Formats: sequence, C-alpha cells, structure tokens
Amino acid sequence: MPGILIRNAFVIDPLSGVKGEVMDIAIRDGKIVEEASTDAVVIDAARCLTLPGGIDSHSHVCGTKVNFGRYMSPEDMRAGRTARKGVMHVTSGYSVPTTFGNSYRYSTMGYTTILEGAMAPLEARHTHEEFTATPHQDMLANTLFDGNWSIMEAVKEKDVKRAAAVVAWTLSAVKGFAIKLTNPGGTEAWGWGGDVNSIHDQVPHFGVTPAEIIGTMIQANELLNLPHSVHLHCNNLGVPGNYQTTLETIGLVPDLNRDRQSLYLTHVQFHSYGGSTWRDICSKSEDVARAVNNTPQVVMDMGQIMFGRTTTMTADGPMEFKLYMLHHNKWSNHDVELETGSGITPVYYGRKSLVNCVMWSIGLELALLAKNPWQCLLSTDNPNGAPFVKYPEIIALLMSRRFRENERKMIDPRTEHFVPLFAIERELDWYEIAVMTRAAQAKALGITRIGKGYLAPGAEADVAIFPLKPDEIDPSVDYQQVMAGFSRTRYTIKRGRVVARDGEVVVEGANSTIWTRANVPPAYDMSSDPEFTKKFEQYYTVRMRNYPVQDIYLPRGVRIDTEASL
Amino acid sequence: MRVILKTRPREKPRIPIEAEEIIPQNFLRKNDMKVFEGNKERTLEDLFFVTIEGPAVSPDQVEVVLTGNTGMIKRVGEYMNAGRIIIEGDIGMHCGNFMSAGEIIIRGNADAWLGREMRGGRILCEGNASHYCAAGYRGEKRGMRGGIMEVKGNAGDFTAEYLSGGDVIIHGNCGDLPGVEMRGGTLVIGGECARPCGNMTGGTCMVFGKAQRVLPTFRSNGSQDMDYAGKRYRMNLFRGDVANRGKGTLMIRA
Repeated sequence: MPGILIRNAFVIDPLSGVKGEVMDIAIRDGKIVEEASTDAVVIDAARCLTLPGGIDSHSHVCGTKVNFGRYMSPEDMRAGRTARKGVMHVTSGYSVPTTFGNSYRYSTMGYTTILEGAMAPLEARHTHEEFTATPHQDMLANTLFDGNWSIMEAVKEKDVKRAAAVVAWTLSAVKGFAIKLTNPGGTEAWGWGGDVNSIHDQVPHFGVTPAEIIGTMIQANELLNLPHSVHLHCNNLGVPGNYQTTLETIGLVPDLNRDRQSLYLTHVQFHSYGGSTWRDICSKSEDVARAVNNTPQVVMDMGQIMFGRTTTMTADGPMEFKLYMLHHNKWSNHDVELETGSGITPVYYGRKSLVNCVMWSIGLELALLAKNPWQCLLSTDNPNGAPFVKYPEIIALLMSRRFRENERKMIDPRTEHFVPLFAIERELDWYEIAVMTRAAQAKALGITRIGKGYLAPGAEADVAIFPLKPDEIDPSVDYQQVMAGFSRTRYTIKRGRVVARDGEVVVEGANSTIWTRANVPPAYDMSSDPEFTKKFEQYYTVRMRNYPVQDIYLPRGVRIDTEASL
Repeated sequence: MRVILKTRPREKPRIPIEAEEIIPQNFLRKNDMKVFEGNKERTLEDLFFVTIEGPAVSPDQVEVVLTGNTGMIKRVGEYMNAGRIIIEGDIGMHCGNFMSAGEIIIRGNADAWLGREMRGGRILCEGNASHYCAAGYRGEKRGMRGGIMEVKGNAGDFTAEYLSGGDVIIHGNCGDLPGVEMRGGTLVIGGECARPCGNMTGGTCMVFGKAQRVLPTFRSNGSQDMDYAGKRYRMNLFRGDVANRGKGTLMIRA
C-alpha cells in the first residue's frame, strides 16, 4: 500500500499536546509515521480541522437488545432509507438502524472506534456477529456483570480475588473488553419483581448491596489490571431526586490507578435529577458536576437527550418497566439467566414537555460545568438520549451560547426556572471538543496502548478531516456551519485507508474487535472451580464448554493481554 | 388540466405496477415520470396511453383519470396533497396512503391498505375495500389522522385500525376487528362486523348492523336515540376498552 500524506492539516491532537498547528501527517502500513514514502497519495487538507478518529465510549449499536429494538419498530425502518450505491449496502432505520446504517453514519461523522455499552455474556455471539457487520469501526464490548450470581456470591463473602477470577474467565470466554455494571443489584432484584432504591438496599436472596458490588468490582478491576475501569450505570436511573444516589456513588470511589480513572459513570444526565416527582423535577447538575470536579478518579459521559423520537434500550429492566408505565407504548423485557436483564421501549422527547426540556438542559450543563473536559465525554447513550447522528448538534450547542439562547425560545418557557443552563456563559473551544470526542475516550478506555486516540508516530492511522477551518469561522456565531462540518467529514481515514469521503463510504470495511484477557494464576482459573462449574450444570441452559465464544466469531480480533496481580 | 391514463395491454398483466409517482402535482412539473413494473423501471408512456387536455397552473386544477386494467397498480396517490384522481375500475394496494389533501374516487373495488395513514382529503370507493382500509402501518401508534374515507361496499379485516382522527364510513359490512386500537376519530359501519374496537382508547364507533362477538371488556352505558343521516335509531352504548383504560364510545344498534 502506498501510504498517505496529509498536507496542510490544522491538527488538534490533545494526547500528543498539539493544540492547533498546521502540519503534515504521514501514514504508512496503517500507522502514523515520521516520513511518508515517496509514492504516497497526497491529500491537501487546506487548513481544515484534522482530528484523530472519533471514539464513542458508550453506544448501543450491536447485540440482542438492539436487534430486538429493530424487530419491534418496523415504523423506525421507514426512516433513513438509502439505496445500494457503490460499495454501500442498503440501509434503513433512524434510532435503531441496520448495522451497516450505523457503520456508515458513524464513518461519515469521522468515528472509527465504538464501544458497545452493554453485552450480556450469554448473548455475546450475536453481538460479535453484528460487530463483523459494522465494518468501518473497531468495536469493543462492555460485558455485563451487574446481576452475575457468582460475582454476588463472591461479594457476599468479601472475596475480591474470587470476583476478579470470575471476571477474568468471563471476559476471555465471551471476548469482552471491560466490566459494565447496569443498575447493580437492581436487575437481579427485578427478577423477583423488585428494584433497589438506594445503593444501600439489599438485593433479595443474595443479601449484598449495590455499594458492596461497586466497591468490590472496582478493586477486582484493578487486581486484573484491565485497560478500562469499571463502567457504571448508577442505580435509580431516571428517578426524580436520584442525584443523591449519584453523589453517594461518586463518594465511594477510591483512587486506585495512576493512568486513568477508577470509575466511569455513564449517561450521568439521567442520574442528575432533583425534586421528588415528575412535577417538580429540577436540575442538580451543579451538585453532580461539583462532585466530579472534586473527584479526579471519576470520569463521566453526558448522556445528552435531544428532542425527537428514539428508542430506549438498556440492561436496566425495572427502569424500562417504569418508562412503559409512563408512556404505555410497546415494550419488551428480558431476563438473561444468571447474569442480567434488559428492556426496550420507544420514546419521544418533546420540546413541549417540561420534563424533557429539563433533561435536555441537564446534559448540556454537565458538559459546561465540568471544569476538566477529560472528565466529561460527549455521548447521547445512543440511542437512549438520541441517535448518534445528533452529536454535531450537541457540539454546536456546547460551542455556541447564541445557539442555546435560540433553542431557549423554542422549548417550554418554564424550563429556565428549573435549570441553571441559561446562566452559564461558557462556550467550549475546538480543543475541548477534540478532547471530549476522542482523546478523553481513548484515555478513559485505556486504548492509547494500542495506538488509539492520537496522531503521533506509532499511532493507528485513524484520522478525520472535517470541512471546517478553525482560523476562519467563529463557532459561537457560525454554529450552523459547525453542525454541518461535524456531520460530514471530508475524509475519514481508518487504519491508513480512506473509508469515507464527503459523506460517502468508499471502501468495504475490515474492522477489528478489541478484547481483553487477564492472565491469572492457575489457582484462580475458574474453568476448574467446582462451585463455578456447578452453576452451569445446575442453572444455565448451556453447558460450560459451549459457553465461550469461538475465535471464528472474531475474524480480526485484537487481544489486549494483562497480567493479574492475584 | 385533465390527464387520462389508459393502460396499454401487457404481456403479463399480473405483474404489479408500483406507481407512487401518479399524483396530480407531478403532472404539473414532470414529464419523465417513472414507474416500476415488477423490478423493471419503465416510463409512464411504456405502460399507459397518456392524454393531457387543457392547462393548469396549480395542482388542485389537475384531474387524473385511470382507466383500463388498473387492478394491479399500487400506491397511486401516495403523498398526494391536491387535485383529484378518478379510477374507473379497480385499484391495487396502498392507494392514497399518506395523502394529505385532494380527492380519490374509485369506481370499482380497492385492494388492501386503501388510504392507510392518510392525513386529510377524501377517498370514495364505490365498490368494496379489502383489508386494512384506513388503518395504520405496522409499528406506528397512530393510523389515519384526518380526512374522510367512504366505502359504499364492504371492507375487510382491521378496518380503521389505529384510527386517530377523521371519519371512516363503511356502508356495507366489515370483517373482523374493525376499529381495533382506535384512539380518536369516527368509524361508522352500516352493516355487520365482528369484534369491533378491541383495545380502543378514544373516538367513536357506530355499528348499524349486527356486531358479532363484542368483546367482554366493554362496559354497558345504557341506550339512547340518535339521529344519523336523516333517520332515527335506537343505539346501545358501550364504553371501553376497559382492558386498556379506554374512554372510547362504541354504539351498536339495538
């Protein structure tokens, strides 16, 4: 392959400390190099904004529940239809598009790596099959451990090492990337028709509390030296007054890792509500942002909602039931044997709904009030808050106070009494946006070690060139231009190949799936542990030897090996 | 302007024609309209003898007349917003879906999905309509939202499913489950039907014939006299569907 030389690029590369310089980038053999070969294809970036390939650190794009969202929303498939064109497959769908639809749309927005937010270990094969059909992004899978019986038994016995051993076996069996806890304890309680209402409630039968599960898993994660931290969806999602739970959870987190956070809090917008009912719901983003600012070992993502129609899907079964009770729309709920659960229901976020307007404001406030952009990442918890195609609009809202003021005229006029958003003058700059959409993600996920998220020599050649000239446009005024620019790259380069140009995908993709294997001493190998194997014999519907995902499901797997300190 | 489209004889007349381009506003500005015959793209001239009489400056002055063997033509009048379409014979599936204004007159029978999810305008079918007449598409919570649908003959199953606005008048009989999931609007059935209005949450349904197998989840609300189309009827009133906390009204002739 001849390689590529990008000339005249206005580069922002936060991880390498480049804050906006015009420079050249040389690419050879899928890597960024010092010198391009003489026959390299030259791309003139014409001083356009050039960033490392985008990384989405929390998105639901693949797996059984996404697919069930597709089943139950035939009306969604009427939107966003595109015909076959060149190498592009037919796509359809808006909030739950086809896998190729997801992949093409992410690619034209400059995204090259996506973390699937929740993969039930038992249903990992489906997730991996859809990963291979999402060809333009490298995929990672957060693996659910929130209601795992073996984990909860280990937590009850206060045996961190055993919990770590279960995690190590499961991650390598299902080719997962990191630990995801979704409403820890709550999904298991939902199996008995209940839920947990605070982090100190006991899970029925197991007698452990969410706080104990979270604390144990954070320590187990560090014992295994996994690249990412525990990825937590707090308890009480979407309940007015739940900011107390969020603050208590943040208070639990020890600082155990020098290189990254010790806890990743996801879609915090849904966890920052004050008040006690839907009638007096108000924003507590200031309290939550202050707690995050004072707790450097925590990273959060926004979970912004945007107005319009979407589909909510989460492993948090009881929450989806509550949503169903609100909307009385079609819904589904699912229990995954000894592991977790899930639920799906379509929703509509309206500008006329005060509650939705408050939610919309909270997400933006979190991003604007977090002092350190490395601690607040941009996300919509796609598709729960909004489909990811809304990211450019969120970027424009964060960069332009004028845009926010214009939106203020369109939403429920009572909103301003419940939220501090319109008093915040801050406008984020290009550098902060670059941090919030790629660099901080790479750091938080711990994938800089495999060359993600930066553009220095040695990095993977994932580059996005946007049709935006930062020295010519003022984002606080030309927000429309910012929005248009971020929704369609001039070039998206993935592992040294141009994959998308001006909104069109130009090559067949070949992505890889990144997973982790923590090497544990033989004493902690769960495959020969009698208690653990008994679970399969007595309760699971599959045998232990059929449980692990075979290598054939990962045509281009990339394994990150770690040595556990057990 | 009057556009007359007479079907040309076809070698295989059972192959359906997809003709969503046949709407009045298109005849004002387009002269290269495309239709599909099976999976082959054709021009309008390939399949029809096209005659255009008189001028028009706005779409509501356009009248399209379809004659000949029209029973296999699908999606005529989709998204139409003005003017008038007259079909001299039968018409295929999906006629007039999503239409927002204008008028469609069908002299023969209509196949399934007639006027599905229409928002406004008027459809008159002088023959029978098949299943899912004036209903919603799969997955959508609201079906027909406005306008008038009148069928002089009978209609099939799931008539006015998800009806949320507008009037549906069926002079003949309906099949199974008319007005199921209704949430607004008015459904009038002149003849018989079975299991009307399951899961309805709003709107009004009147049945002037016999309603078979009325669901047990409707609460009887007495009876009253009612004038309709110049005649006086004694109607039994029901409220429901209580299984869905519904506040709809079902009236059945006593």
